[in-house]
Amino acid sequence: MTTIADHQVTKVEASEEVKAIHRKMLRRQKISKGFGYLVAIIILLWILVPIWFIGSMALTTQENVRAFPKGVLPFIEFSLETMQFFLSSEGIIPGIINSVTVAVITLVLSTLIAAPAGYAISRYIFRGRDTYRLSVLMVRAFPIVVLAIPLVVVFINFGIFDSIYSLALMHTALTLPTTILIIGSVFASVPYELEEAAKVFGCTPFQAFRQVVLPLVLPGIAAAAIFTFVMSWNEVFAASVLTIQNRTLPAQVFNTLSQSSQAYQFAGAFFMLIPSMIFIFIIRRYLFNMWGQVTK
Amino acid sequence: MSTVPTTQGKKKINWAPYLLILPSLVYLAVFFAWPMVRGLTLAVWDDEARLSLQVEATAESDTAGTLPQGTTVDILDQQGNKVPLEDIEEGNLLTEIWYQVRAESVEGEEVTGWVPESRIRVREEADDGTPLGGTVRSKLGENVDPLTSLFTEENEDSEVIGQLESRVQVSIEGVSILEVWYLISGAEEEGGEAVEGWAPSRYIQVFEDEIQGRIDRGNTGAFTTTYLEKMVNDRFFWPAVRSTLLLMVIIIPIQFILAIIMALVIQANLRGTGFFLYVFAIPLAASDLAVGIVWFSIFTTNGYLNTILMGLGIIDSPVTYLSAETRYWIIIAIVLAEVWRATSIVMVIVVSGLQAISNEVLEAAELFGAGLWQRLRHVILPLLRPSLQVALILRTILALQVFAVVVALSGGDIVTVLARETYRQYYDFRNLNVAAAYAGLILLISMVSAVFYLRTIRTQEEAAA
Repeated sequence: MTTIADHQVTKVEASEEVKAIHRKMLRRQKISKGFGYLVAIIILLWILVPIWFIGSMALTTQENVRAFPKGVLPFIEFSLETMQFFLSSEGIIPGIINSVTVAVITLVLSTLIAAPAGYAISRYIFRGRDTYRLSVLMVRAFPIVVLAIPLVVVFINFGIFDSIYSLALMHTALTLPTTILIIGSVFASVPYELEEAAKVFGCTPFQAFRQVVLPLVLPGIAAAAIFTFVMSWNEVFAASVLTIQNRTLPAQVFNTLSQSSQAYQFAGAFFMLIPSMIFIFIIRRYLFNMWGQVTK
Repeated sequence: MSTVPTTQGKKKINWAPYLLILPSLVYLAVFFAWPMVRGLTLAVWDDEARLSLQVEATAESDTAGTLPQGTTVDILDQQGNKVPLEDIEEGNLLTEIWYQVRAESVEGEEVTGWVPESRIRVREEADDGTPLGGTVRSKLGENVDPLTSLFTEENEDSEVIGQLESRVQVSIEGVSILEVWYLISGAEEEGGEAVEGWAPSRYIQVFEDEIQGRIDRGNTGAFTTTYLEKMVNDRFFWPAVRSTLLLMVIIIPIQFILAIIMALVIQANLRGTGFFLYVFAIPLAASDLAVGIVWFSIFTTNGYLNTILMGLGIIDSPVTYLSAETRYWIIIAIVLAEVWRATSIVMVIVVSGLQAISNEVLEAAELFGAGLWQRLRHVILPLLRPSLQVALILRTILALQVFAVVVALSGGDIVTVLARETYRQYYDFRNLNVAAAYAGLILLISMVSAVFYLRTIRTQEEAAA
């Protein structure tokens, strides 16, 4: 889109007619800019207000949670009471530990398996490449529900039911396709010429990869890994189906939902939202790299 | 896509890419394809549909034929047969115990052989309860052979080694637990050809008269539509189908409109675009359960919506939104929660689609005096079509999985969806087969809608060409 500055640089004398059109366009742009800000702020509020509400409920006293009409921070007392109540409830701390363990195993497995595959689909043309990409995409689009039930059956048969390790295996199956496609697009964003140039200057293929490509793709791969972590951290269906004793945090909150107090629920929801806000902030630069390429 | 080496020559196959994708292929085959096939067969395959009858009373013998579960059969004979210890733990299994005893026979020789447990009164036991010795029970009644036979094997059809008199001392040297096998005869349907053969007692429920019984469960699988019928006849099935489709139809258009607006805002080069983008993307990584609870805090009776409406003086007392009488409010709450949560992904896809549209095209349109709506209608949307298509497929499939949000907002009973029913069948009813049937239905709808979208775009492209 052209900016106002561009127009001012062009110092060519124009007819009155053209100037009028120019003024009209400038005015129109100003109006649309103002309108743009208005829309942006409305959407901003749409996203942020619910988070503000739940944050207010999670970071206040239990009395304020029960109160009606409800207040919001900073107009009500700030207190860690509700959060403490949630964290000290039965199964929450073990749930957090389980969630982090599962997410870390998933992240490591998924990245280790996906990185070479991502490199292959972005750097080589080989017979079956399109078929491979397409089938990975299809797996990516598969409903979790459809996969969870069959895998439960298999895990029961193998006697590794109700274990966080089997859940990690399952989350890896769920996240692997996305991770492959994201890492593929990360590699694709590094021109092959760079690698070739390194080889021309005497690097072995491995050295070229290690010295030139790896430093460039590492942040992108880290972003993909973080996203894998978040997907596993959020996943609730497979986690509740697959575990009974060793529940992850979302599974624990989900399964106690009908018997729990509002203070517990609100604090739990806010607690689960925190990582997503932090992680999106860290990987925001890579969002389009990740999702933009996936769609191509 | 960047340049790719193509100088490899045509004769030599470069194995490197295959080696690189191999781990992912293996992983997806083991943890995706295989369980998927196995699991989905659960929906149409009954593992216990038919009982196979053996020619002889052992599992190793040939199969005489099979009969469906529930068939009434005549019981012609019975016999004990060795059974692995772990099988005895299994329920419904009729056992016979035989003792291997050593004793003095009628002829005065010392013999060793097998007698049924019922013939021996155990008088001496080891600490762990193993019988060590006892006496032969006397047989009561007239016209009864007073002697007890010793057999070579744990089977009354085997050879008789010797005879014991009543109340003779015996030492017990071995115990054998046998499962009773029945020789049964029955027909597939009334008046049909009868099949006769042996089957273990655990599969057969014997009636009181002991000459007839019923096949309780089978040991051979067969195709069945029972589970599909169970699913369709479930009282939650049609409500779940209806609300899943209703939610899809309402949510997806709203999401696309909102996502395009968000994308245009991001593309408008406003000051603070980076911040806007970050905030717009937050829900991308938000847990669906958490989002469900967030909207619950707004819609619950003592929640924020009532607070605001009362503050504005619109209502006088709190309104109950999330109850069985106000299903439409629950639907509205689910729609808002889903739009809040899942619009970001569409936005990101649309923004990357927009970035691919060259600025010249947009400038040209603007120069020719096209307004925002005209540009959107005639330039941006047509060029965005591939991105929108992908987003549409992704969103439809994800919309079929709405689960935690629904449970958080309605408890999962008042308004229910297909994914919720899958969970209920699996978790509450422990009915894996029906759960698999639901999973298969979700898969089917996903596939059909994906193919539908792909077909639609293709015909449009062909029409354009």
